[in-house]
Amino acid sequence: MKTRMFILAAALAFAGATAGQTTLNVVTAGDQNMVDYVNNYLAPKFEAMNPGVKVRAVGTGPGDGGSQKIYEKLSAQQKAGSNEWDVDVAVIHQLASATMVKEKLLMPYRNDVSVGKLVSRDTAKNALGADVDGYVMPMFHSQIVFAYNPDLVKAPPKSFVELNDWVKKNPKQFGYNGVKGGMSGVGFVTGWVSAYSGMGDKLEKGPYDASAAPAIDKALSGLKEFNQYVVMTPGNAGTLDMLNRGEIAMGPVWVDMFYTWQADGRMSPKIKLVLPSPGLPGQPMYYVIPAKAAHAQLAKKFIELAESPEVQADGIIKQFNWYPGIDPQYVQPKLDQAAWNKLFTDISPADLSKYGRPFPLSPYFKDIVEGYERVVLK
Amino acid sequence: MTAPMGIFRGRGVALALIAPALAVVGLFFVAPLVMSGVVAFRGKGGEFTLEHFRKSFDYYTTDLLFTLAIVLLSTLLIGLVAIAIAGYLTLGGHPRTVAVLRWLYRWPLFIPFVVAGQLMRTFLAKNGMLNHVLIGSGLIEPLSAQSLLDWRGIVVAFVWKQAPFVTLLLAGAMAAVESQHIEAARNLGARRLRVLVDIVLPQVRGTLLVGLVLSFVTMLSVLSVPLMINPNSPTMVTVDVAYRISTHGDYPVANALCLLSLALAAIGAVFYLRHAAAQVEGK
Amino acid sequence: MSALPSSVRMIFRALILALLAFAIFGPLLNLLLWAFAERWYFPNKLPLEFGLTYWYRVFQPRGNALASLGTSVWIAVLTVAFSLAVAIPAGYALARLKLPWRGAILLVFLLPQAVPNLPVYVNIAQVFYQIGLNGTILGVVLVHASHGLVLAVWIASAAFASVDTSLEEASRNLGASPWTCFRTVTLPLAMPGLIASAIFVFLESLDEFTGTYFVGVPDVTTLPLLMFNATMGGNYQISSITALLLLIPSIGFMLVVERFLKADVLAMVGR
Repeated sequence: MKTRMFILAAALAFAGATAGQTTLNVVTAGDQNMVDYVNNYLAPKFEAMNPGVKVRAVGTGPGDGGSQKIYEKLSAQQKAGSNEWDVDVAVIHQLASATMVKEKLLMPYRNDVSVGKLVSRDTAKNALGADVDGYVMPMFHSQIVFAYNPDLVKAPPKSFVELNDWVKKNPKQFGYNGVKGGMSGVGFVTGWVSAYSGMGDKLEKGPYDASAAPAIDKALSGLKEFNQYVVMTPGNAGTLDMLNRGEIAMGPVWVDMFYTWQADGRMSPKIKLVLPSPGLPGQPMYYVIPAKAAHAQLAKKFIELAESPEVQADGIIKQFNWYPGIDPQYVQPKLDQAAWNKLFTDISPADLSKYGRPFPLSPYFKDIVEGYERVVLK
Repeated sequence: MTAPMGIFRGRGVALALIAPALAVVGLFFVAPLVMSGVVAFRGKGGEFTLEHFRKSFDYYTTDLLFTLAIVLLSTLLIGLVAIAIAGYLTLGGHPRTVAVLRWLYRWPLFIPFVVAGQLMRTFLAKNGMLNHVLIGSGLIEPLSAQSLLDWRGIVVAFVWKQAPFVTLLLAGAMAAVESQHIEAARNLGARRLRVLVDIVLPQVRGTLLVGLVLSFVTMLSVLSVPLMINPNSPTMVTVDVAYRISTHGDYPVANALCLLSLALAAIGAVFYLRHAAAQVEGK
Repeated sequence: MSALPSSVRMIFRALILALLAFAIFGPLLNLLLWAFAERWYFPNKLPLEFGLTYWYRVFQPRGNALASLGTSVWIAVLTVAFSLAVAIPAGYALARLKLPWRGAILLVFLLPQAVPNLPVYVNIAQVFYQIGLNGTILGVVLVHASHGLVLAVWIASAAFASVDTSLEEASRNLGASPWTCFRTVTLPLAMPGLIASAIFVFLESLDEFTGTYFVGVPDVTTLPLLMFNATMGGNYQISSITALLLLIPSIGFMLVVERFLKADVLAMVGR
């Protein structure tokens, strides 16, 4: 009886592995739907083009924590002196990409792939002030926006100043997740500091100037007062969760997560989005290839497929309603007008280019986030 | 000759028997722990420094105290719940109630912490199921419904998840208390609560303490529950550790916080050591 | 209490049980609802639409949920076997033999439970990559075992302490060798306690995901990893379904081993 159970379990455990095949390991930070996207959409296409290859996708969890886990795994292999690393393609956030390029954990590949020419946006070369040119290609762009319930909020605030007035008239109706629960909260805080310190451009473009700290702290002390009128939510998903249950009427969310929640029936289709002036940060998720990936050539082929205008149009935009990773002019011709317009239902392309901003440079970013802990939380 | 120590004797034998288990923990946990522990004392140039601890206290003293308070309160409540349930299972006079209770209390044992966090997040929220039920049954007014997703939510999640573990251990121990003792006291007219407190509890003190110490240290190291319920200030140290790593890549401070968390765990351990020492002397 | 009429006491009992049942099953009901909810949002207090869409998603052929579940169970079984194999001698030594630093040794086993372990696993991964254990079932089992060992060792030690030494002496006086005596007298008497510890180690292993990620992924993936990612991303349907799937082996294992579980052994824990 016991032996039979053992054998059964063993058989189950090894059923997945097929001998004589090459396995391309794709490890992705982010939500489960990113894993599903690779598994269900990209993998079958790629396997059909490359017989004998199997794509295996593994998720490491949402947010920068997910990217950090990929960094740690690669770093462990680097320190261990391994010659063939077990990750072939990784999908990571900006923050981790800067660290990983600096620590030589990644392989430059953009000039080796034909789709490399299809990206020209600044974020394809620069991650929070770090030079990542050649090492990364954006899988998609995401943006932090305010999601609000139009039944409860008739005229959503269009700027941070309006928001500040609005929360005082509608206390405990706005919620965000602080700085410890994920980047949508962090992005709200950096957006606030950009708006109220009047140094938006300087924070994003530099050069870094430590004497800006008092201005940052002053902006943050305004946030401390603002916090008395708002609800703190548990994490990126926590903000969406409270919107879902109607406990808050408005909050900052990642637009890609928002659409996933709506598609999965966890968010009312009525909820709308707005991007306030002078802007909130956004960032891409990057495709990267580890420096000693066991199947680097296959990994490049995989990215060629994933960044092709057809896949970006059909997979990224049509299936998920995410902003494309490659330049829009290459994607738009592959889509019908309706699908293209759907991408901009709530937020116009003009607003997106005006108010969709990068995160501050990493030294400023650090000052702001640690300042938040010092000024706002104490 | 003192009491027989067992069929195998000798210090060498004892060390040989314990060596494999110690090796596993030593190689696969203590050694890596030391590797990361030294990072907490190392400055940028590799020199010895206490700077990371200074920063930890500077930023996270409130969180350290908050963590200790949450975990102590949860441990206390877990103890009370476990004593109540295990006590009834042992002394309860109504067999059907005992049977139902025995079946009932165990379920959270099978729910991982991260899921317990998710469940409580949707259950205890302002518009969550608990408030729906309370409002629906007329116990509270809709306007007075409030969210429990703060320190209370964390405590509820911990008690919900850990109380069955301690209860299981405790009920086993209570069942083994000599039934003559209980019978005798009952015959003398002692009420059940008296029997529980005066006769049963003293005999199972050790088991209770072990269950509580294990729960205490486990709760100190759980990340998912505070992360799901309340990662905002003040929050538990595990959240700060994860945040220092994933937002700042700051391993030195993260490791310093881990060591401070370990120091909190040592408080629980001291209780245990004292008890163990008392037992040895008592033999 | 005994002064109260029995009908009042019955109602009182029923009320307490009902409250307890609500406290335990209320949160679990949420799990069940989300596992079948297709659409659920404000202002609806219950899901708008039920269905099996997410079950198909979890069980889709490329999702490998069943294979991961199999791996999880296999790892948990191996972890139990391995933990008991090293915990039985250790528990015996702690219970019966003169050991220097006994208290300190007991505390060493407690360490893996006591520290926020993320930074530690990073170092374990590095060591395992060096010695080729990364990406193997054995590697994951070793990490899970070091984590669950405190339960196995502490309870095993209690189990041996509760075995009456006079039975062993009788067997030795009849001429049994120490080994025979241990095998035929001590071990069978301690077995229920050892089996109780097996339950806890099994559950511990089945819940673990941080160590599995650093040591197993991508070659070894388990169901708790999927569950963790889905939960943290707020993907309640997937996370609820995986949690329900994980209940099956947990409860199954408990039922199988509970037949061996006798209460009196647990009495010695901590003595």
